[in-house]
Amino acid sequence: MNDAHIVSSYDRDLESIQALIMKMGGLVESAILDAATSLETRDEELAEQVRKRDAAIDALEEQVNERCALLLATRQPIARDLRTVLTVMKISGNLERVGDYAKNLAKRTGVLVHMTPIEGAAGAIRRMSVTVEGMLKDSLDAYIQRDAELAEDVRHRDLEVDQMYNALFREFLTFMMEDPRNITACMHLHFISKNIERMGDHVTSIAEQVIYLSTGVMPDDMRPKGDRTSMDNVEIDG
Amino acid sequence: MNDMRITERNVDANAIKIAARNCQVYYGDTHAIKDVDVDIRDKTVTAFIGPSGCGKSTFLRCLNRMNDTIDVCRVEGDIRLDGEDIYDAKVDPVQLRAKVGMVFQKPNPFPKSIYDNIAYGPRIHGLARNKAELDEIVEKSLRRGAIWDEVKDRLDAPGTGLSGGQQQRLCIARAIATEPEVLLMDEPCSALDPIATAQVEELIDELRQDYSVVIVTHSMQQAARVSQKTAFFHLGNLVEYGDTGQIFTNPHDKRTEAYITGRIG
Ligand SMILES: Nc1ncnc2c1ncn2[C@@H]1O[C@H](COP(=O)(O)OP(=O)(O)O)[C@@H](O)[C@H]1O
Ligand SMILES: [Mg+2]
Repeated sequence: MNDAHIVSSYDRDLESIQALIMKMGGLVESAILDAATSLETRDEELAEQVRKRDAAIDALEEQVNERCALLLATRQPIARDLRTVLTVMKISGNLERVGDYAKNLAKRTGVLVHMTPIEGAAGAIRRMSVTVEGMLKDSLDAYIQRDAELAEDVRHRDLEVDQMYNALFREFLTFMMEDPRNITACMHLHFISKNIERMGDHVTSIAEQVIYLSTGVMPDDMRPKGDRTSMDNVEIDG
Repeated sequence: MNDMRITERNVDANAIKIAARNCQVYYGDTHAIKDVDVDIRDKTVTAFIGPSGCGKSTFLRCLNRMNDTIDVCRVEGDIRLDGEDIYDAKVDPVQLRAKVGMVFQKPNPFPKSIYDNIAYGPRIHGLARNKAELDEIVEKSLRRGAIWDEVKDRLDAPGTGLSGGQQQRLCIARAIATEPEVLLMDEPCSALDPIATAQVEELIDELRQDYSVVIVTHSMQQAARVSQKTAFFHLGNLVEYGDTGQIFTNPHDKRTEAYITGRIG
C-alpha cells in the first residue's frame, strides 16, 4: 500500500504543517527546561530569555492555523487527512498553552530570585518539569510515528505529575504554616507547580489526539486523575 | 465524542427497501459484480462510490432490471424490493421500472414539450383518467422536481430547450411522475455547473422524505453532502458499506481510505 497522494503537492502541504508543529514542540520543550533551570540556578537572564522566546511559539501557532485554514479550503481533506488537520490544530493550541505556562514560570523566577529560597522546592519543581518535558517529547514522537501505544503510555504518566504536584502542595502548606514569612515565595512556587501540572494535562491532550489520529476514535475510558488537592483540608488550630 | 457521526443522519431504523444477496453480474466472461450483499434503506440517500469500471452502474442497473436490455449481461443472485423477488418470472420489468425510476448522467429529455415529457409515463401506465388529472400530475411532479416555477409559463416549449441543470431536474420530475418508490441516479450532476448541482442536491435531500434514493457519484464531496449511507465498490466487490459519516472520517478498509483520500493505494 503506497501512502502518497496522487497529487504530490497535497503531501507537501500536509508535511509542511507537521514540520511547523515539530518546530513548535522543540521550542516549547526548551522553554520548559530552561524556565525550570532558571529557577533552580536563580538565573534571571535565562528567565528573561524564556519570556522573550514565547513570541516565536505564538507566531508558529498562528502560522499553523493559517495553513490549516488554507488546506481545508483548497483540498477538503477527509478521513485520515481530515484527522491530521484537526489534530494539528488542537496540538498547536496545546503547545501554545504549555509555552505560556513556561513563560509564566520564568516571570515568577524573576520575582523569586529576590527572596529567600524555600528548601528543596526548586529541585522538586525541576524534576516535575523534566517529567513533563519527557512526556511532551514522547507525545510528539508518538505523533510522528502515529504510535498509539506510546501515546497511551504518556497519558498514564500524567498520574506521576499529578502526584508530584500533590506532594509539593502539602509541602508548601507546611512551610507557610511554620513561618508566615514564607507565604509570598510559597504562593509563587505553588502557582508554578500548579502550572506544571496543567502542562501535563495539555501534554495528555496531545497524546489523546495521537490516539484519535491513529485509530480514528478518542480514548474514552476515564484517565486516572491524581490531583486531589481540591479536596484537601488545612487544619489550623491554636 | 466517540466518532464523527451526526445523529440526525442516523437512518438505521428505516425499513429495508431493497435487499440484494449473492449478486453476481457477468458480461460474457467478464465477472463485473462479485457476490454483493447489501440492504438499501427507505427514506435514505445511499451513495455508490468507487473508481471507474468498478461496477457501480452495473449494480445500479440490477436494481430495476435495466441490465435485461443488454444481451451479453447475466445477473445472478437474489434482489428483493419490499421482500418481493424482482427477477421473478411474474414481474413485469416495465412496471418495475415505474416503481424503481432512473435518472442518467446526461439529461435526456424526450424531444417533446415539457408537459409531454412528464405526462408520458403516467399516460402509458394509465395513472390519469382525464386531462384534469394529468394536468395535476404534471404540476405536482414539476413541483417535486423543484422546477415548476421556472417552466410553468412555457409547458408547451420543448424540454430540450432548457439549460442542463433544468433538463436534469425535468428528468427527475419525469421519473417522479410515475410515483416510484425508489430513485436510481447515475452520476446525475456530472454534466452540471456548481449552482445546478446544488439545486439537484437540494432536491435529492427533499426527495429523501418520500423515497429511497441511490446515487452513483464520482464526487467524494457530493457523496458526503447528500447521502446517509455510502457503499464503496472496487473491482466488482462491495468493499465497505456504512454510515457516510464513518466512511468519510474513519473508513475501516485500506482500499476505501486510499480511494477517498486520493492516494495511490
Ligand atoms: N454493456 C457492457 N458490455 C460489456 N461490458 C460492460 C458493459 N457495461 C459495463 N461493462 C464492464 O463492466 C465493468 C463495470 O462497469 P460499470 O458498471 O460501467 O462501472 P462504473 O459504473 O463503476 O464505472 C467494467 O469492466 C466494464 O467494462
Ligand atoms: Mg458508471
